[in-house]
Amino acid sequence: MSFATDSPVHSSSSDDFAALIDAELEVGSSGSSPDDRGNEEKEVDDDNDDDDEEDEDDGDGDLNDHGNKRCKTEKLEDQEEPQGSTSQGLIEEKLEVSLKDICTHPGSFGQMCILCGQRVDDESGVTFGYIHKGLRLGNDEIVRLRSTDMKNLLRHKKLYLVLDLDHTLLNSTQLSHLTSEEEYLKGQSDSLQDVSKGSLFMLEFMHMMTKLRPFVRTFLKEASEMFEMYIYTMGDRPYALEMAKLLDPKKEYFSGRVISRDDGTQKHQKGLDVVLGQESAVVILDDTENAWTKHKDNLILMERYHFFASSCRQFGFNCKSLSQLKSDESEPDGALASVLKVLQQVHHIFFDELDSDLASRDVRQVLKTVRKEVLKDCKLVFSRVFPTKFQAENHLLWKMAQQLGATCTTETNSSVTHVVSMDAGTEKSRWAVKEGKFLVHPQWIEAANFLWQKHPEEKFPVSQTKNQ
Amino acid sequence: MFFHIVLERNMQLHPRHFGRNLRENLVSKLMKDVEGTCSGRHGFVVAITGIENVGKGLIRDGTGFVTFPVKYQCVVFRPFKGEILEAAVTMVNKMGFFAEAGPVQIFVSNHLIPDDMEFQSGDMPNYTTSDGSVKIQKDSEVRLKIIGTRVDATEIFCIGTIKDDFLGVINDPTTA
Ligand SMILES: [Zn+2]
Repeated sequence: MSFATDSPVHSSSSDDFAALIDAELEVGSSGSSPDDRGNEEKEVDDDNDDDDEEDEDDGDGDLNDHGNKRCKTEKLEDQEEPQGSTSQGLIEEKLEVSLKDICTHPGSFGQMCILCGQRVDDESGVTFGYIHKGLRLGNDEIVRLRSTDMKNLLRHKKLYLVLDLDHTLLNSTQLSHLTSEEEYLKGQSDSLQDVSKGSLFMLEFMHMMTKLRPFVRTFLKEASEMFEMYIYTMGDRPYALEMAKLLDPKKEYFSGRVISRDDGTQKHQKGLDVVLGQESAVVILDDTENAWTKHKDNLILMERYHFFASSCRQFGFNCKSLSQLKSDESEPDGALASVLKVLQQVHHIFFDELDSDLASRDVRQVLKTVRKEVLKDCKLVFSRVFPTKFQAENHLLWKMAQQLGATCTTETNSSVTHVVSMDAGTEKSRWAVKEGKFLVHPQWIEAANFLWQKHPEEKFPVSQTKNQ
Repeated sequence: MFFHIVLERNMQLHPRHFGRNLRENLVSKLMKDVEGTCSGRHGFVVAITGIENVGKGLIRDGTGFVTFPVKYQCVVFRPFKGEILEAAVTMVNKMGFFAEAGPVQIFVSNHLIPDDMEFQSGDMPNYTTSDGSVKIQKDSEVRLKIIGTRVDATEIFCIGTIKDDFLGVINDPTTA
């Protein structure tokens, strides 16, 4: 079927024209598939430079059509001019009954179905802008990709690792926020020519200075053997990419898997929906627990890395920053070295110790198990740590100690190994000293929680309070 | 597919460009304005090859600008559904791969990659046949068939497939 119409109205932009054609098609195609499109042709049209998104669905026959048309004069205009135009719409209908009609449209690229090429305007599913502009996948497709990818990954004995940037792998500050004591850093920053050796970078074009956390290069290298790694930051996309360049100059670790807040699906939340990995195989390292409310079981909470004074201020610390003290976190015993050991252990248990079917294993269970090893065999009694009327079992420290494998009680007895107290003068504290039990500050538990290891008790002494 | 076509455009010129070099100025502005742009109808304007005719200028009230209708020949590139294209692979991932043919960005989903090719992750992600004889990775050149196109102001998006006879890798960067 074909027919021609005169344009009833003057159209000053191609969008109008496209809309007109669409309208014509609606009329012309009633009773047949709405997806059939015709070819359009006209002698003179008003066409602006910025015409965009013109829908095309040319059939094979169109190739010939255009061949004939090739010498036709068409008119493009710079300006909108009050000048009449006659549009001729030549519409051909092709009845196509094919796979198209039953395609489930698993995802889209440039608003076209990735499977059948048909135009789709569906906004459902999840956008994957961090992989490529214009890419969107439906939920079923994500599930399918996750499961095939999971098999692939497990065969290579790998799991997924999602890494936060700020305070986890590095610390950044605005140049304008540097204190006078930190001015010396400007003279010490490393060359941007070969970033693979440096750790302190001045990114003048972003008005920023960035310090990589000690041990981070070894960490990434070792972790990449066991995990497929993602960066996931609350920073914006340009920042995320710039940091990825510093951490991974050869693009061997993240290869396009850099997710920024611009790519997330929920504000102030990080979600695993944009990570193409099954949740049962994802480990997350982040210093902000609240960002991962739905995935707490996947999370290893990191002790925050504050190098710059502005970072300390931001979190309300009044102490001198590492930069002001001209010091840094320990390379061999710092947070990243400790967490690497935990990751190695988790990886080992997941692949080499569990005897269940590989696909049914869950790294979240492994994390729980490993965590429970940290303070195993410790029996804790708390003294003057909680407010008097507070339900002890609900206190954060109590829960934390339990997750670390310790047993917590309220009464002293011979099986108790540690008394946790803020004050050496309490009855229980004195009992501990008399009975030869460990007397430790609550920070001993927090440190164990961050570094996933039991620390020497003598490093966390309990002092006498003033009223003693 | 490339076409050599004649297009017409109303060019607006500032009075300072008038004089002996009027035509030259008109042509260089035309090139600047048109080459490298896309239009939904014609596709990507690769190059202007000649000027057919410059019509009479029309002085615009108030501004002193003059509008000239210019007819010019140019080469345009526009992919069509069903067309076979050769393209360079730019990115390979678990969803499929992205390729480019000039300004055209093409996505080939893993649904439309032959079933015997499997995704391999790593530093250089790729799709490889089980016997390892064929490999698609970044910088590979592939022959693909377009199954959907969309033309935008500056970019052309296509959906492609290599799941058909005579499609797939035409050169392998690792063996080249
Ligand atoms: Zn479809």
